[in-house]
Amino acid sequence: MGSLMTDFAISAQHLARSFGETRALVDVSLDIPAGSVCALLGRNGAGKTTTVRILTTLLDPDGGHAQVAGFDIASQADRVRERIGVTGQTATMDELLTGHENLEIIGRFSHLGAAVSGQRADELLEQFDLVDAGTMLVKKYSGGMRRRLDLAASLIANPEVLFLDEPTTGLDPVARSEMWAAIRNLVARGTTVLLTTQYLDEADQLADTIVVVDRGLVVAEGTPEQLKASIGRPSVVVTLVDADQAALEKVRAALGTDAVIRGRSVSAPAADGLETLAAVVTRLEELGVPVHEVGLEHPSLDEVFSTVTHRLGDHSPDAPAAVPA
Amino acid sequence: MSAVALPRQSSVQRGLVDAYNATRRYLIRGKRQPDIIFGSVLFPVIFVVLFGYVFGSSISVPGGNYHSYLMSGLFAQSTLFASSQVAVAVATDMNEGVIDRFKTLPIARSSILIGRSVSTIVLGLPALGVMILCALAVGWRPENGIFDAILGFLLIELFAFALSWLGILAGLIAKSSQAADVISSIPVFLLGFVSNVFVDTSKMPVWLRDFADWNPVSAVVAAGRNLFGNTIGPPPSGVWSLEHPEITTIGLALIIIVVFIPICVRRYSRTSR
Repeated sequence: MGSLMTDFAISAQHLARSFGETRALVDVSLDIPAGSVCALLGRNGAGKTTTVRILTTLLDPDGGHAQVAGFDIASQADRVRERIGVTGQTATMDELLTGHENLEIIGRFSHLGAAVSGQRADELLEQFDLVDAGTMLVKKYSGGMRRRLDLAASLIANPEVLFLDEPTTGLDPVARSEMWAAIRNLVARGTTVLLTTQYLDEADQLADTIVVVDRGLVVAEGTPEQLKASIGRPSVVVTLVDADQAALEKVRAALGTDAVIRGRSVSAPAADGLETLAAVVTRLEELGVPVHEVGLEHPSLDEVFSTVTHRLGDHSPDAPAAVPA
Repeated sequence: MSAVALPRQSSVQRGLVDAYNATRRYLIRGKRQPDIIFGSVLFPVIFVVLFGYVFGSSISVPGGNYHSYLMSGLFAQSTLFASSQVAVAVATDMNEGVIDRFKTLPIARSSILIGRSVSTIVLGLPALGVMILCALAVGWRPENGIFDAILGFLLIELFAFALSWLGILAGLIAKSSQAADVISSIPVFLLGFVSNVFVDTSKMPVWLRDFADWNPVSAVVAAGRNLFGNTIGPPPSGVWSLEHPEITTIGLALIIIVVFIPICVRRYSRTSR
């Protein structure tokens, strides 16, 4: 079952969707290999949620088409629904039901039958550390617990493809890292995940590939490393044990004309990456200054993000700029 | 890849299972909201006291007992109020994320709405029971015997089920629960009060009397009165629906069910698409 003509768990071509005058999606194409994690990264209103709603059969596109788990989202919507799990931005758990009842009902609606649904609910409560909360009404849950329950609910029928729409927005740092751990766990089991996020570190932490969307268009895509590499070269950073000005000057002179001093560190462009790093380490040994740390620093995804989303300016772009792999 | 095999069932079987599960969910929810059940039970008590004694003291029906006359009207009117509550509940549902989740599940599109409608009827039964007790307390009696009385209540519940789909449609169209309240309250008040629920229509001005006589709610009330044996005097001549109130009620309910269930399901599937 599933992948009929493609190895992609999600394959979307030129999706477009407008709401009245607003063009929420202009042209979004995605190819997400089975078993990988793709992060759809963008600001509020970039078109992330619209993309997810189309791929999860909640919304019809005005243009383009897509297959999820090998089935067409328009003509085979029910086949798609049997194979996906969805955790939306808004809480979808019923406050008047307990955690266990919520999971069990989703299981029954997934046609697992009453017995299996109850059993799966028990397993998932355990997996998501909600055993004690299982008999509690959801209205008494904390924000983090609700998100975990929501995620658990989307896993009840062991979906092939999981959609997570901003899974950690609004969570405190502890709940956020718990959520990350839960998502990593799933990925380890081979589930294909499409997650949307406005947090770069989240995309960097969780995703194999990142697709940057802005104003309804794909503006960049690639692995986190490719995206970073596309923006600039890494730099080598030497941090000394203390801010001894004379020692810092020595190091700066050794690292070349582009080197700059920041606090007790000196950084310089590493044109040849690791080779540059190796050369720098050798030079530092010769200099004999007390070094605390030496390393390569890549440009942050923040820089990537602001570069690709601003490169387009205010005028409407005519073609998505893909980052060469 | 699904580790859990999907049992092979026909789509009709599955649809029934889905509708059963949805109903079950709404019933569990209903059980957790005792304040709403309490309110729905209290409401008819207030109505019996208010209309039976406060207004009823100055209303007389020719050659009959007003309390007996009134009760069929109140039974029928309670179905109108219930449909208005359904409208508000559906509008509230639609604005919550849970409906989105249901739409991403492989369930029959009709199941959530059927669950809403059937559970409304079931959760309304305590209120109906209390209303019957009140009615008995103020002197109403099913004069035609228990069999006809049960038939009368079945007719009223059939009408309630049909009306709940009009309420569902109002709830699906409304943008908010407040809007649903307004949209549904206006027809509920017009149909509920410009009718034979409280008074004999013969003393109304002609234009109002025509509306009241042909008002489908009047037919339901008349059907109840016939079956409970509380009818006073002959039906107004030339008003077919009041001359054949039972057939009118059943026919009307079936038409609403056949026409509006598909409209509601379609509307539900298309919302936000």
